[in-house]
Amino acid sequence: MEALIKELVETYGPSGEETAVRELIDEKVRGSVDRTFTDNLGNLFALREGPAPRLMFSAHMDEIGVIVTHIDGNGFLRITPIGGVAPHLLVGQRLRFKDGVIGTVYHEKIKGLKELSWPKLYLDIGAASREAAKERVRIGDMACLHQPFVNLGERYLAKAMDDRIGCAVLVEAARRLPPSLPQGVCFLFSVQEEVGLRGATTAAYRLEPDYGFAVDVTSVGDTPEAPLMAVSLGKGPAIKVKDSSVLCHPRVRELMIETAEREKIPYQLEVLERGGTDAGAIHLSREGIPSGAVSIPCRYVHAPSEMVDVSDVRHAVNLVMKLSTRAWPLLDSGNGSR
Amino acid sequence: MNAEEIKELIMELSRTVGISGSEDEAAAAVSGYLERYTSQIWRDRLGNLIAFKGGQNDGAEPFSLALVAHLDEIGAMVTRIEEGGALRFTGVGGIDPRILPGQPVQVHGKTVLKGVIGAKAPHLLTVKERREELKFEDLFIDLGLSREQAEMQVRIGDLVSFDAPPVAMVAGNSLAGKSLDNRAGVAALVICAAELAAVCHRANLYFVASVQEEVGLRGAITAAYGLVPDLAVAIDVTHGEAPGLAPPDVFELGGGPVISVGPNYHPALTRRLEEVASADRFAVQREADPASPGTDAWVIQVSREGIPCALLSIPLRYMHTTVEMLNLDDLTNTGRLLASFARSLDRPFVEGLACF
Repeated sequence: MEALIKELVETYGPSGEETAVRELIDEKVRGSVDRTFTDNLGNLFALREGPAPRLMFSAHMDEIGVIVTHIDGNGFLRITPIGGVAPHLLVGQRLRFKDGVIGTVYHEKIKGLKELSWPKLYLDIGAASREAAKERVRIGDMACLHQPFVNLGERYLAKAMDDRIGCAVLVEAARRLPPSLPQGVCFLFSVQEEVGLRGATTAAYRLEPDYGFAVDVTSVGDTPEAPLMAVSLGKGPAIKVKDSSVLCHPRVRELMIETAEREKIPYQLEVLERGGTDAGAIHLSREGIPSGAVSIPCRYVHAPSEMVDVSDVRHAVNLVMKLSTRAWPLLDSGNGSR
Repeated sequence: MNAEEIKELIMELSRTVGISGSEDEAAAAVSGYLERYTSQIWRDRLGNLIAFKGGQNDGAEPFSLALVAHLDEIGAMVTRIEEGGALRFTGVGGIDPRILPGQPVQVHGKTVLKGVIGAKAPHLLTVKERREELKFEDLFIDLGLSREQAEMQVRIGDLVSFDAPPVAMVAGNSLAGKSLDNRAGVAALVICAAELAAVCHRANLYFVASVQEEVGLRGAITAAYGLVPDLAVAIDVTHGEAPGLAPPDVFELGGGPVISVGPNYHPALTRRLEEVASADRFAVQREADPASPGTDAWVIQVSREGIPCALLSIPLRYMHTTVEMLNLDDLTNTGRLLASFARSLDRPFVEGLACF
C-alpha cells in the first residue's frame, strides 16, 4: 500500500484540476469493482453492485494549491489560494504546475509575519522577463506543493495526505472486498472538496445513496501546545461525531462504533471544531442521507508536509472494509429509522 | 387552546431537550400534541418531524402550505475529559461563553448526569484575566467525578444541555426559559393546528418541526426538497426590546407577531399576512430584513424551482440564553394568525404567486 500512497500524494491535483489523480485511481481501482464512471464535474465513481441499501464512501481527490492572478513586468507571478492555504506556510516552498514548471514562493519586504498576506507573496519561476514567464505560465494556471513522499518508519510524511490518504484507503478497501456483499457499495473519489464540498454535492445527488461516509483526514491535539482535541496519531481511525459541516447521524455513528468494537479495530471519537468534509454535503442531498465519517488522524493539515500514522491507515482500511461487509438496515423512504 | 393550555404547552416544550442533531426527545413531545390535530405524522431521514392534514379543495388541483419552525436548541458537546475529571466542551450552535459560568447543566452520557459549569472565584482572578473576554478554553464542566469515574459515564461527543426550568413571571403575561428559541415557534405550529382542527381549509398543510437550524438551517433544506410545498411560512423568534436596545433592531414584547419584509419573502405572502391580521384585528409589527435573517426561510426559498416564503417572528428577549423571555399573547396570536392565513388561501392565490 505504501507504493500506492506515494504515487497518489506525489500526483498533481489542485481543486478543479484532478484529472491526473482521477486517471491514476481509475487504473488502480477498476479491477476491484463492477464498473467505474465519471460525471460532469469530474467525480469518479467506483461501484460494487448489490442489493439495497447502497452505501457511498467518499474521499476527495483534490488538494489545496494556488492560482496565478498576474504576471508582473519582471516575470514574477502573483498568486491567490485554492482552498484554505495559510500564506506563511508557503514562504520558501517550491510549487509545481501541471506541466512541470517549478517555482519558489517568497515575499516582499515585511516587518514581521503579521504583515504577511497574499498580495505580499510572489512566485518566482526563474523567468528573466515578463515575456519569458508568459511562455511558461498563463493567468489562471494552478500550482500545488512540490514535496516528496517520505516513509519515517511508523509514520508517513507528504503533501496532499489530505485527502489522497483517504483515496488510498478506499482503493485498498475495494481491493480487499469479498466477492459477495450484503449491499451495494460505491467508492466515490470526489472533486473540489477544498473549495466547498462541491463534487460530493452533485455526486450524492446523482447516486442517491442510503448512507454516506466521508473518508478524510482530521486534525489532532497531540502536538506541542496544540488546541485541545482528544484525537492523537496512532490510536486508530476516528469516528466523527461533529465538525463544522455535519452532525453525524446518531444511529450511523452507533453502528460504526459497534462495527469497530466487534471487529476489534481501535478507534477514537472525533469532535472537530473547525473544518468540514464531504459528509457535510452528502447528508443534505435531496431528502437527506444519514451520514458519518471515518477520519484518518493527521498532523499539520494544509501544511506542506502532512503526517499520518501507518497503523491508523491500516486500521482505517479495515474499518471501511468491515463497514462495507456488515449489513445495514433498509430505510423507508421519507420515514427514516432514528 | 385556552390560555392555561398554551402556557402548559410552551413550558413543556421549553423543558424538553433537543440539541441540534439529536432532537428525538423534543420531537416526541411535539408529536404528542400535533397528532391530535393532524392525520399523518412522520420523521424524515434527517429527523424533521412532519405532520400532515389534508384540505378540502372542492375538486380543484390540490396545493400545499408548509409551516416550518425549528425544533432544535443550542447546547454543548464534550470534547475532552481532563486529568482531574473536568469536561472540556464546544458549542453546538451559537452559545455565548459569557452566560456559561455558574450554569447548571445536564450531560447526556450513559445516563443523564447533573453538572455545573465552574468558574474561577473572583478573588483568584489576575488583573489581566478580569479584563479579558471569556473563551470556551477557559470553561469546563464539573460532574464532581474523578477522571476514571467520568470516563465510565461520558464519551467524547456526548451532548450537554442547560438545566434551566422555565419561569412564569409574576406580573404580566410573560415567561422565561431555555430553548424558547424556537420552541415558541413550534408551540405556534401546535396552536395553529388546534385552531384549524375543526374548520375547513383548502390547502394541504404540512406542519414541520425542522432539525439542525442552529447549525446552518440544515433540516429545512431536506424538508423543503422532500415536501415540495407550493408556499411556506417559517416561524421563528426575533429580538425583543430591552434596556440598552432600540428599534429597528428590537420589537415590543406584547406588540404582536412580527412580519418580515425583504428579498427573502414573497411580497404577496407578506401582504396576505398583513391583510389577514388587519381583518382579524391582530396587532402586528413589521421587520425589514435586507439580507438573510438566518432562518429556515432562507433555504426554503431556493429549494428546487423556488418556493414563495414568508417569515413570522415572535419577539424574544435575551436570545440564546437560558432566560429567553416572551409574551404569551404574542405566542397565541402568532398561532392564530397562521391559522387565519392558512384558511385564506385558495388555488387562484397560489397560481398568482408566479405572476410578478
